[in-house]
Amino acid sequence: MNHFANHSPIRHAFKGVREAIPLLGGYIPVSLSFGLVATQAGFSMWEAAAISALIYAGASQFLFVGMVAAGSPLWLVIAMTLLINVRHVVYGPNLAALLPRSRHWPWLMHGLTDQVFALALTRLPQLPAPERFGWFVGASLLAWGVWIIGTMVGATAGETLTARWPLLGEVMPFALPALFLTMVAPRFTDKRWALALSCTIIAALLFTFFGWSNVAIPLAAACGAICFYMVKFQTRRCNP
Amino acid sequence: MSSALWLAVVVSALGTLLMRVVPFLWMQRRLNSATGINNMPQWLGILGPLMIAAVLGVSIMPVNPSAVSWIATAIGLSVTLLVWWKLRSLGWPVAAGVAVFGLVQVIAYI
Repeated sequence: MNHFANHSPIRHAFKGVREAIPLLGGYIPVSLSFGLVATQAGFSMWEAAAISALIYAGASQFLFVGMVAAGSPLWLVIAMTLLINVRHVVYGPNLAALLPRSRHWPWLMHGLTDQVFALALTRLPQLPAPERFGWFVGASLLAWGVWIIGTMVGATAGETLTARWPLLGEVMPFALPALFLTMVAPRFTDKRWALALSCTIIAALLFTFFGWSNVAIPLAAACGAICFYMVKFQTRRCNP
Repeated sequence: MSSALWLAVVVSALGTLLMRVVPFLWMQRRLNSATGINNMPQWLGILGPLMIAAVLGVSIMPVNPSAVSWIATAIGLSVTLLVWWKLRSLGWPVAAGVAVFGLVQVIAYI
C-alpha cells in the first residue's frame, strides 16, 4: 500500500505543483498586467482569458493585443505572434529524452513555456523516470491555471490591485531571476561553459535593456552558442 | 471580438502549440527509432542550458529600472547565490533572494 502511494501519479503531480510555486512569483504580476492591458485595449475579461488559455505565451500575448488595438492587419498580427514564439521549437527536443512516451503529449506540450522548460530541464534529470510524467503535468498545469486566473483578476481588478500594493508588483517578479540563477549556477562546470553562459546572460540583459525583449532569448542563446564553439580553452601540460 | 479576430487567436494558438509539440514528438521518435540515430544532436544539448541562461538574463531586468531596483537586484541575486552555494536546493535560495530584494526595496521606499 505504501509502495503504491509512493508511485501514485497524483503524488508526483503534487511534487511538480510544489516545485513550480516559485514560478508564480513571475506569472502572477505578468498575468495581472496582461489582463489589465487587454481590457484597456478593448478586450473583455473572457476574451483576455481565452487569449491566455489558448496562446499561453507571455510576450506574444502583449504583442497580439497591442497590434490588434493599433489596427494592424490580422495576418501581420499572426505572423509576429508566431515569430516571437518560434524559440519554443528547441524546448521540446531537449526534454524528449527525459520524458516517457505518452498519447497525452500533443495537448500537454501546450504548457511548455520558457519558465516550465527551464524548470523541467533542471529537475527532470534528478527525478526517477516513473515520477517525471506526473511531475510535468503538475508543474505545467499549475502554471497554466495561475496564468489564466491572473489574467481574469487583472482584467477585473488590475488597476485597484496595482494602486493598493505598488511594491508587490516589483518584488514578486524577482522570484524568476532568483529561480533561474539557481538553475544556471550548477552549469558553470568549466571555463568554456562559464564563458558561454555569462555571455548569454549579459547579452539577454542588454537586449532587454535596449528594448529588444521580444527577441532577447533566441539572440542571446545564439551569442552564447557562438561563444561556446569559438572559444576553446587549452589545458596546460607539464613537460617531464 | 469579431469572428476574424477569434480566427487570429485560434491560428496563433495552433501555430504556437505545433512549435511546442512537433519537435518534441519528432525527437522522441528519433530517439526510439531502430535506424541507429538515437542521440540528440550536440548543438541542441548545448542550446538548452543557454536558453535557460537567456531567460535568466531577460528576467534580471527590474520591472521599474532605477538605481534602487538595480542595487536590490544585485544584492538579491548575491544572497540567492550564497544560499544556493550553502544548500544546493531550489526553494530556500529563491525565498531568501526575494525576501532580501523586497527588504531593500521597502527600506528605500521608507
